[in-house]
Amino acid sequence: MFGLIKTWRELEAKGIMGINRRNADYVLKYNKRSLYPVVDDKILTKERALANGINVPEMYGIIESERDISKLHKILDGRNDFVIKPAQGAGGDGIIVIADRFEGRYKTVSGKIISHDEIEYQVSNILTGLYSLGGGRDRALIEYRVSPDPIFKSISYEGVPDIRIIVLMGYPVMAMLRLPTRQSGGKANLHQGAIGVGVDLATGITLQGTWLNNKISKHPDTTQPVAGVQLPYWQQFMELAASCYELCGLGYIGVDMVLDQEKGPLILELNARPGLNIQIANNAGLTPRAHAIESHVATLAKENHTETPAERVALAQQLFAAK
Amino acid sequence: MRSLTLHLKILIAALVSLGVLMTVYQIFVLNIPVTEHETDNLWNIDAKIEFQASGNAPVKLQMYVPPLGDNYTSLNESFISKNYGVSVNRQNENRQITWSARRNAGKQTLYYRMVLTTRFGADQAKPSGPVFRESLPVEGMEKIAAEALLAPIRQHSADIETFISETIKRVNNKDDDNSKLLLGGNNSPERKADVIDLVLSIAKVPMQRVHTLRLDIGANQEPELWIRSFNGKKWLYFNPQTGQQGLPADRLIWWLGDEPLFNLEGGSRPQVTFTINSSEINAIRLAQLTGSASSATSFLDYSLYGLPLSTQQTYQVMIMIPIGVLVILILRNLGGLQTLGTFTPVLIALAFRETQLGFGILLFSLITALGLSLRSYLEHLKLQMLPRLSVVLTFVVVLIAVISLFSHKLGLERGLSISLFPMVILTMTIERLSITWEERGGNTAFKVAVGTLFAATLAHYLMSIQELNYFVFTFPGVLLVMVGFMLAMGRYRGYRLTELFRFKAFLKD
Repeated sequence: MFGLIKTWRELEAKGIMGINRRNADYVLKYNKRSLYPVVDDKILTKERALANGINVPEMYGIIESERDISKLHKILDGRNDFVIKPAQGAGGDGIIVIADRFEGRYKTVSGKIISHDEIEYQVSNILTGLYSLGGGRDRALIEYRVSPDPIFKSISYEGVPDIRIIVLMGYPVMAMLRLPTRQSGGKANLHQGAIGVGVDLATGITLQGTWLNNKISKHPDTTQPVAGVQLPYWQQFMELAASCYELCGLGYIGVDMVLDQEKGPLILELNARPGLNIQIANNAGLTPRAHAIESHVATLAKENHTETPAERVALAQQLFAAK
Repeated sequence: MRSLTLHLKILIAALVSLGVLMTVYQIFVLNIPVTEHETDNLWNIDAKIEFQASGNAPVKLQMYVPPLGDNYTSLNESFISKNYGVSVNRQNENRQITWSARRNAGKQTLYYRMVLTTRFGADQAKPSGPVFRESLPVEGMEKIAAEALLAPIRQHSADIETFISETIKRVNNKDDDNSKLLLGGNNSPERKADVIDLVLSIAKVPMQRVHTLRLDIGANQEPELWIRSFNGKKWLYFNPQTGQQGLPADRLIWWLGDEPLFNLEGGSRPQVTFTINSSEINAIRLAQLTGSASSATSFLDYSLYGLPLSTQQTYQVMIMIPIGVLVILILRNLGGLQTLGTFTPVLIALAFRETQLGFGILLFSLITALGLSLRSYLEHLKLQMLPRLSVVLTFVVVLIAVISLFSHKLGLERGLSISLFPMVILTMTIERLSITWEERGGNTAFKVAVGTLFAATLAHYLMSIQELNYFVFTFPGVLLVMVGFMLAMGRYRGYRLTELFRFKAFLKD
């Protein structure tokens, strides 16, 4: 009992944010429910991003109804690799990643050969809402397949590593590199067993890692140290994340981005309830950082002044640089 | 944001204080019992009147019966007599019953029965009475003795209260010649009351005789004589024998004044015997019985007790749902327990009412396990959601029917109770559990299932505490207090218990 109280005190002293505080003080306070569709529907996010000139994986087409499925041929025509995903899917379910064509059939990233009919069946499943959050009807999205930058080869197992930055009122507050592992099945979700690696906001150099709530220093599959890696295009990542505030209007989001070999930093999706394990990866609490941003925004509001994404990134890098 | 917090605080304070006030008012002002087991004594008083009718003249018997009103509530009053007309009339502060018959012969027996209780008595009216009166006529030796008695009483008293008790003391003093002379060798309470009356009348202090009955189980009780006097504010009661002041709580005033208990015409050898019995009655039932006079019963009319009995039973279940919800709220937001959905555990807890806890858990696990295996088989068929759910639901129904049939054949009647086990809840549980299984893995699914069962068990346990059920049902103000707590939880920012373990990595520096 006293041990628990001691733990409580120490976590509080470190400024670790709990679920209750995140929900009450940030998610409920800054994220208007009416704006949720923008982040829940990947097609809407993409449209908004394009309208704001933000880099996203190119969209090849949308299939909205069973009748549209016949258009699939036309959309896929001349494309060797692509991704089909449900617009409102969660946890990476229902996504097919096609890497190549093979004798009139398709080859997935894992090497499985599937026919066009099977792809149509999968699209039909997506439309009926098999993978959508609420179980309602959904739309299928066909888009560009991201090929991860080779920089991550040594510290990643299959899949595409992504970068998550928590953005509060347009100011990046914490960042993390998410590396798929054998256990996570190539997915970059922490609760499925992916590794989270903290990133210094100022420099883009990786810090320590977290894996299943523990601190780690090496990737379990490649045994390479995860710390000390310089992420390329870091400044672009930061500005991309900061500009998502204008894009969706939500005040507290997790921005998931990837680094494409050819197209550079791209936004994958936004999350209105980003997880809290990012704190373990950075060995730092979110609460003091969030308070610093909130008081900064309050003083700006008094002066009736707003900052551009670049200014916000500069402030965040100055405030939250790793010591 | 600040103003929102203030708003919330005011709202919480208002709800909690309203709820507490309502409950306190019910308990302390309306005297609504706090537990169901609280019982009250119900007094059964029988007065049996026997006499010999002369046979050649009309019979008329007049008897005083308790005026009631003050601290007692009469639940039932009955007059049992054959061939007699009965009428009850009020005379000043008394009530008198009159039995009359044209012609009757032989031994006559009449009964008067009343059932009364102390709880839920009506509010007392403002007392009033005479403060002055004329002296009784008295002559010669007795006058001198009375005046001689009066002189030291005057000296030793300050007001009516002390005057009367001093008088009673002097009259009861066996060595006092004056009082001996006035009593004339008769030491009965009636005679003493007469002498006290005389002495007080010379001092112009009014006095009234009070005939009381002691509420004490037994037969053959004689009414006990007390005297009372009004001091301008309230009635002061004295025992003329002992000088004891103040009427004990177990006394029931039967009648007031100098008249005898009864008055018989056309008969002889009358005799009255009192038999007193008590029985216990559930206090809340009693409140419902006590007619409309008291405020408590009029309250009950507008509480859940005013509903028809069958509806009440439904509400007794329904009103416990917030308690179950509160349990889930605490377990999830303070404890960090993972459950399926938010209120599924409450629904499962309700289902446990039908099946009993141990059996319910067993059935729940069994059906869910079988349902999950069916669900994982259906997964291969790639069905759409609605048809898939329908298949699972039908399977659950069939499963329940089979279990009922088997347990019936095996002689386990308990198995039949699951026919009411909510099938839709089970189906949704299976569906959600299998989704959790796929998305988060078997470990998480198992943890969630155990968490759900744990929460359901705890909720069921709390919801089936009889005392709690009674309390919430009788004092719905408690629900407002609970809403206040829930509102406060809505802005709780502290850690959840599980987070203390989740973030342990921070402390290993």
